[in-house]
Amino acid sequence: MSEVLRAEGLSVRYGPGCPACAAGLDGSACRACGSMWAIRDVSLDVEAGEVLGIVGESGSGKSTTLACLHLDLVPASGRVWLLGRDVTGVTGTARRRLRAETLGIVYQSADRSLELGVTAGGNVAARLFAAGWRSYGESRLRASELHAGMELPEERLDEPVERYSGGMRQRVQLARALATRPALLLLDEPTSGLDVSVQARILDLVRRVHRETGVAVVVVSHDLGVIRTLADRLLVMRHGRVVERGLTDQVLGDPQHPYSQLLVGSQL
Amino acid sequence: MRPGLARLLRRDGTEVGYGWAYLDETAKREVRRALLKAVAVPGHQVPFASREMPVARGWGSGGLQVTLSVITPDDVLKVIDQGADDSMNAAALRDLVSRTTGVRATTDAREATLIQTRHRVPEDDLHEGQVLVFQVPIADPLRVVDSRPSVTRRLHADRDYAAVWLYLYEDHARTGQSSFTHSHPVEVERGYVMSPTPIPRFDLPRLDRAPFLALFGAGREATVYAVPPYTRVEPLAFADRPFEPERFDGPCALCGAADTYLVEDDSAEEPRWVCSDTDHCRRRREAAR
Repeated sequence: MSEVLRAEGLSVRYGPGCPACAAGLDGSACRACGSMWAIRDVSLDVEAGEVLGIVGESGSGKSTTLACLHLDLVPASGRVWLLGRDVTGVTGTARRRLRAETLGIVYQSADRSLELGVTAGGNVAARLFAAGWRSYGESRLRASELHAGMELPEERLDEPVERYSGGMRQRVQLARALATRPALLLLDEPTSGLDVSVQARILDLVRRVHRETGVAVVVVSHDLGVIRTLADRLLVMRHGRVVERGLTDQVLGDPQHPYSQLLVGSQL
Repeated sequence: MRPGLARLLRRDGTEVGYGWAYLDETAKREVRRALLKAVAVPGHQVPFASREMPVARGWGSGGLQVTLSVITPDDVLKVIDQGADDSMNAAALRDLVSRTTGVRATTDAREATLIQTRHRVPEDDLHEGQVLVFQVPIADPLRVVDSRPSVTRRLHADRDYAAVWLYLYEDHARTGQSSFTHSHPVEVERGYVMSPTPIPRFDLPRLDRAPFLALFGAGREATVYAVPPYTRVEPLAFADRPFEPERFDGPCALCGAADTYLVEDDSAEEPRWVCSDTDHCRRRREAAR
């Protein structure tokens, strides 16, 4: 299997940092200098066709980790490789091209990746334009193909996303993320805030997309149900650190770290 | 000129009390520096310290500053407003430049060396050595996409024009055509996307690899940009939705020209379509007589 993504020793710090930071933190804060370590020494890797889950409570560093993988944040230390290429700290045109061609992301809140005043088709096509597509017909065809693939009603392709329901917006996000057939799909709480039946259908859709395209996925969620449904392997994060990792069934079935035990035990 | 005030003129015909070409030398040098940078980086918007001018901002103050900064005593000046030499605005600007420089003014685009224009390219074939100065109301073609300069500057720096293409896509998806009737964004030498100012689509092909130097001055927005001679200027358009200039149903009602840009003349009894370039139209009629 080929490696799609590898990250080693990622740390993101807010604050000056000091020698005492290394000795030990109180949660994710350093008592001596007051710096917050959003994530600390996070390493992970994803093979082609694999789904990696990241769970943890609010503030545990899940989304910060994802932001580093999406190249939104440059980590204070650590490196990120995409398809074998070191992409740590790339900016500008190179980053735009990487994002357009190899990365897709779905956020909990659709307005982070979608222009709500723009049509569903346009939101998908925008990704194609970023990747250099210059044909109206081809872009439109690809957008409507994805639109249908996400089980969205065909007649609403030219409707602005602001008139879409929450569940449908997630589908448009997914269509947009997959538009350029990226190697890696990042899902940041993709179903949080949706009702249970819609959640289940979105998760089914993600599973189908994954099966059909073989795209590698990193899914971040505080919902163990989502992780159990999607992820092959799992990281458990707390206070910005990875406290446990392993096969999903193994970690959820027999959690070793006290926090993982708490997390599994406190599921409703 | 107020009545009773004697007009003091120098021997060369210029007005006493003003420096040559109205602006002070430091101001002109600053504008020229910005223009040099603009010419060196075609299509790139260069900030400059836009001065207060004796015309309101938005009435050609940018074009005027560019004109006054590059004009030389040997220049022959033409000023047009929507193609017309005799509009109030054009006449006032021409008067100001003539009176503070003494340069000869003309209405004939062929003999002019410096042409300040509001929203048209003259119909005559222009030649090398001529300079066109465009008055620019809105300098940034990405304004329609995002109104924050901090955002659009970054997009320009990254050559990230997906949003403009999206804008075009939305036009075609919703109405089947582009909504740019003027200011249709152009790509300059496969680099920056630039607003050609509100010249009609009809004039855009004439900017492409044109022999003249095109300077753009936006006084209100304190920005200049430029297209050097023989630079590629391509309107943004999908490969399968080609760019189309305006077309007209018939020839000019006055001179009969079928290859010029026409505007509706509602001053006549019956509304009719006539050349927007008044001097070109006049010369055609005189030649026919």
